[in-house]
Amino acid sequence: MTFVPRLPDAQRASGWDRPADLEKDPAVVPEPGSVEVPTPLRSEIEEAMARYPDRRSATIPALHAAQDLHGWCSPQAIEQVACVMQVTPAYLDSVATFYDMLEQHPVGRHSVYVCTNISCSLRGADALLATVQQATDGEEEFNVRAFECLGACDIAPMASVDGVYVGPLQLSDVPQLLDDARAGRPVLPEKQLATRPVADPHANSREFPPHAVQEGKP
Amino acid sequence: MSELLLFKDIDEPRLNTLSVYEARGGYAAARKALAMTPADVLAELESSGLRGRGGAGFQMGKKVSFLPQGSMEKYLVCNADESEPGTFKDRELMQKSPHMLIEGIVIASYAAGATRSFIYIRGEYVHQADILDAALAEAREAGYVGERVLGSEHSLSLVVHRGAGAYICGEETGLLDSLEGKRGNPRLKPPFPANQGLYQGPTLINNVETLSTVPAIITIGGERYAKLGVETSTGTKLVSVSGHVQRPGNYEIELGIPSRELIYDLAGGPLPGHEIKCWFPGGSSAPVLTPDDLDVPYDFDSLAKAGSMLGSGAVIVVDDSTPIVELAMKVAKFYRHESCGKCTPCREGTNWTVKMLERIDSGEATPMDLDIMASVQDHIIGNCLCVLGDAMAMPIGSMIAKFRDEFEEHIEAARARNGAAVAPAADEPLVHGAH
Amino acid sequence: MPRPEPKTITFTIDGREVQAAENTMLVDAAKHGDVEIPVFCYEPKLGNPVGACRMCLVEIEGIGKLQTGCSTPVKDGMVVHTQSERVQEAQKSVVEFLLINHPLDCPVCDKGGECPLQDISFGWGGGISRFIEPKRHFVKPLELSPKIAIDRERCILCYRCVRFSQEISEDYQLVLLERGAHSFVSTFDGHPYVAPFSGNIIELCPVGALTSRSYRFRARPWDVEDAGTVCTLCPAQCNVKLTVRDERVMRVLAREHAEVDDGWLCDHGRFAYPALAEGVAPASDNGAGPRIAVGMRVREPLLRDGGELRPVSWERALEEASVALKRAGAKTAALAGAGVTNEEGLLLSRLMRDGLDSPHLDSRVAGALPLELLQSLSDPRLQATVSDLEFAHAVLLLDCDPLLDAPILDLRLRKGVRRHGTTLERCSGANLEELRASAKRLAEEAGEELVIVWGERFAAGAEGAARVRVLLDLAAELSLADVDGAGLLEVPATSNGRGLRESGVLPNAAPGLRRADADGHDTQSIAAALAGGELSALYLLQVDPLAEGEPFAAGAERAVWERALERASTIVAHSTLLSEGVHEHATVVFPAESYAEKEGTVTHPDGRIQRVRQAVARAGSTRPGWQVLAELGERVGLDTGVLGELTASQALFDAIPFYDGLTLEEIGGRGVRWQERERV
Repeated sequence: MTFVPRLPDAQRASGWDRPADLEKDPAVVPEPGSVEVPTPLRSEIEEAMARYPDRRSATIPALHAAQDLHGWCSPQAIEQVACVMQVTPAYLDSVATFYDMLEQHPVGRHSVYVCTNISCSLRGADALLATVQQATDGEEEFNVRAFECLGACDIAPMASVDGVYVGPLQLSDVPQLLDDARAGRPVLPEKQLATRPVADPHANSREFPPHAVQEGKP
Repeated sequence: MSELLLFKDIDEPRLNTLSVYEARGGYAAARKALAMTPADVLAELESSGLRGRGGAGFQMGKKVSFLPQGSMEKYLVCNADESEPGTFKDRELMQKSPHMLIEGIVIASYAAGATRSFIYIRGEYVHQADILDAALAEAREAGYVGERVLGSEHSLSLVVHRGAGAYICGEETGLLDSLEGKRGNPRLKPPFPANQGLYQGPTLINNVETLSTVPAIITIGGERYAKLGVETSTGTKLVSVSGHVQRPGNYEIELGIPSRELIYDLAGGPLPGHEIKCWFPGGSSAPVLTPDDLDVPYDFDSLAKAGSMLGSGAVIVVDDSTPIVELAMKVAKFYRHESCGKCTPCREGTNWTVKMLERIDSGEATPMDLDIMASVQDHIIGNCLCVLGDAMAMPIGSMIAKFRDEFEEHIEAARARNGAAVAPAADEPLVHGAH
Repeated sequence: MPRPEPKTITFTIDGREVQAAENTMLVDAAKHGDVEIPVFCYEPKLGNPVGACRMCLVEIEGIGKLQTGCSTPVKDGMVVHTQSERVQEAQKSVVEFLLINHPLDCPVCDKGGECPLQDISFGWGGGISRFIEPKRHFVKPLELSPKIAIDRERCILCYRCVRFSQEISEDYQLVLLERGAHSFVSTFDGHPYVAPFSGNIIELCPVGALTSRSYRFRARPWDVEDAGTVCTLCPAQCNVKLTVRDERVMRVLAREHAEVDDGWLCDHGRFAYPALAEGVAPASDNGAGPRIAVGMRVREPLLRDGGELRPVSWERALEEASVALKRAGAKTAALAGAGVTNEEGLLLSRLMRDGLDSPHLDSRVAGALPLELLQSLSDPRLQATVSDLEFAHAVLLLDCDPLLDAPILDLRLRKGVRRHGTTLERCSGANLEELRASAKRLAEEAGEELVIVWGERFAAGAEGAARVRVLLDLAAELSLADVDGAGLLEVPATSNGRGLRESGVLPNAAPGLRRADADGHDTQSIAAALAGGELSALYLLQVDPLAEGEPFAAGAERAVWERALERASTIVAHSTLLSEGVHEHATVVFPAESYAEKEGTVTHPDGRIQRVRQAVARAGSTRPGWQVLAELGERVGLDTGVLGELTASQALFDAIPFYDGLTLEEIGGRGVRWQERERV
């Protein structure tokens, strides 16, 4: 008989082994006012709810807002949103755990998403990720994550640093990138996607001054 | 190039502002359309032959015509969840010419009778969403969006809705669930969104590029648009070229040009000293093609005939420096990560495929495993709730079929390399945990 | 609201022409042709199909891809194949996929033997697995709630349980967390899943992932027998299937009845039974036999002797009771409570009115209603049914809280609101003007099909009769009797309240709501008359006005009841569990059957007469209630003619004009609404 070696089971999600705590009360829709919600968060959620025919459409904007405040979708953050939106915390949790950008654990306040999908990995994304991870090792203010295609394969390998796309990155760019992020400066200004003209040589009916294009936010 | 429609002024400084956009002729198409009857606008869209630019390639005009008539609330949703690996054309459009999209939405909603519209933009596109929000505020101020657009009978609300990172929300019904505030699980079809979509109402869903093309169609006329490109793939198309090419980026081409022209002439061909090994013509969901297929015309039907698809219009070029197993692993892991988990073949099939590939890589597989892997892909294709499962199974299946020799070599090499190292200690339990 | 009117069509499945109602889902329509299409996620009770498990893929001619039979409505002329090679391969592959992460622990799995995954793997699977990677292993089982254990290894993510929580009970506590192969069923932040209907997810689970903590490892499917009966723990009278092993009820399952419970059970009905049947284990008194204590199951007759209840023989108990009752005669009062069958009600009424010449008996909690009002309320044309709640334009809940009064109605009301847009409002009988205004507004705005669900407490107290008159006037004004689907539905305070009134347990009516020879005291004045010494004996048929949670306690002030029980010279009680008042005051206690031990009929609030069937042996030396009542009758000189269960039921059918001609066969397993019988 052929011996079939067994691999360790690398695939585990936190929560699989968690029982319910029978001492707790069931998590029903919180009574309005029963949870203390910071006023700015409350009004942001209420504004979001008003934009849609169904208030539940505001779930993702509301969770984003709570995450911005709490740093992650903590149980407390979720309870606050649940209280304002008048839904169960479980409903919000099921949504929050579905989406990659909503964090399930406390993370650093600077996010560095390194795209490791096909086009970027073809151009060295895995080494880039390793370098960034190494350079931020132990630094709690960084949330370094491998991310699926961020939609910027033209600047592969790239990263999204606090929402700002930069690339193509070389390993030697990493220290500057992190320094900029630490200092709160614009990250690698010359490598920001926002300043890049399209690649198509036939595009544009007129000549536009190079790099004068796009000034970021209007 | 004969005619640029989307990229004509794309790098004009401050094109994202209303004043520059208007100075370049922006919103003239909306004025023209609102002076026509909705039926006439629809007729223009239908005669243009414009096929959806998001991936499925369904005729846009026909899709609009599927919406029921009547006074019920109808919705238009712009799919800006661009997340097919290799695709970044919508990003360029939204970032640089957001008003073109808004104008397209105004015209399309008028043709469809929709009064509420949404742009579902992926959460990672922070910058682009900010630009859209600013452009929308300007458009609203100028009366292009809101009650009685430009004094017409047409009213339209528009909301920019930011996602939170899930590939499946690019699937139109997953997007609808997500927009309704739920997990982005695709829905069973029928009912189709045209009948029961957002909030159970009739809903038109179109991709950013599709809607951004609408003003140009109204400006030049559907028939003239249809003369661009080839018969069943009319018009121009933005193609995102990436991977192992010298000039990755977006290119606006007339559909039907040889793929070689796109990859070599426009994108500069493979990196020096390398040969193309394979290429995805339409994002990572498309079955891979080989250098033998480089002369296939780049249009919907020719690529389908060649055994792949145009998909979202994203060419990923892979050269000979990349092992095929590594590529397959990237693809499979991506789809495993993004599978929503709702239906069995996709959830389990993507998971199983990754595990088999890992075994191949660690030297614990035999060529027989390739047959199992190929059969697993066959069992996924066509049996899932939505197309995500197929999106992994098709490229993986094509890789096994076209690069079987390389897979087998990889298996043998890995076995030789790791053969002795993997036998576990005798006392290692095979089963963990208690019941 | 229009209800579905099925049109019959013909389609072809596996070469056979089969007729079915149009637009039935293919998996259901196929059954008409004896074809089974396997399913996991499909459960029509849960609403629209989701097509998630992909087990039911079939081939339909003219459609390229395989289609899910669970979501394909059958059309005339459709040609379906379920046995083609393509379909078989797809089905095999889905089973293979599902088993990838499913542990093969069937031998120690509680679901083994009654597991759809087992059955489908056997019937449709390939029989081999090509998956040699390690399976996932988690800690298991885990507590999901005090009642439910979860085994996440076994879960096949069919979505049934979370759909139940989200779309049926609408508590939205149970959800899927994470995505893709990482998805798992859970609650928020480790909170337990505690909700009034949570137990239904156990029954919905098609694998052994959700199990009942009280039933786990108590029996195997081949050890048990199923026994169908009706749960009489509340007026909803849900149809249940009892799992019986060695004369013990191990668990309670739903026995779906679309007109009663829609296939759901509340957690009380599902989980309470074993405790109710067993009672508190009696403490032993140094070998001197079990001490008689509150909460214990009464298994033999008890007699108060020297101030304490002591076990006695049946003969002694019957003799003592009959002598005392005879002595009290017309000064005897009687109350009948929850769980009493129609037959027992009729016999009690006979015993009181004919045997003891006493009209002082009641089954209503407070305040007699004039007979003509009772008769008007019982007008068949005015009677709304349970399914009317689902299709009505509007439902007005009047002094009624379904979750407390008849829980399963809560799910039906939610279903109406969710699926058919029924308008649901609540109102209190304290403000009759508001009641009138609400009802009229609802009928005008939502639609003429208005159902008013009212709790018995609406008619309680001195104002009760006046209120009921307003309600009847309102019904007349809105023509509720003439509109199909509109009407009134009373939720009585006790589980068989309607049946007991119809069988004559009323102070002012003979069986069949006919005028009685004499009118007696109602519950409220029974308490007062006993306390005041006007009455001297009390017959408590499965009721204890001093017990906690007892509806009859509301009939009068507790102090009055206490005094009443203290002053009564004789109290004869039938008890399943020994309650406070009975323990303290009863002269004779007869052991009463639990509902699983009982045989007889009960009447649902909407008039459906249902059979309660004996599933297990009676506890101890318990005798059937009818037998005790008939025997006492005989001892006070009354010939009831009742010799057994059949004659008891026959006597009931003969005594009540609108039950006339009924047979137990006609009632059968699904019950029959007397209003719908052709004789009426």
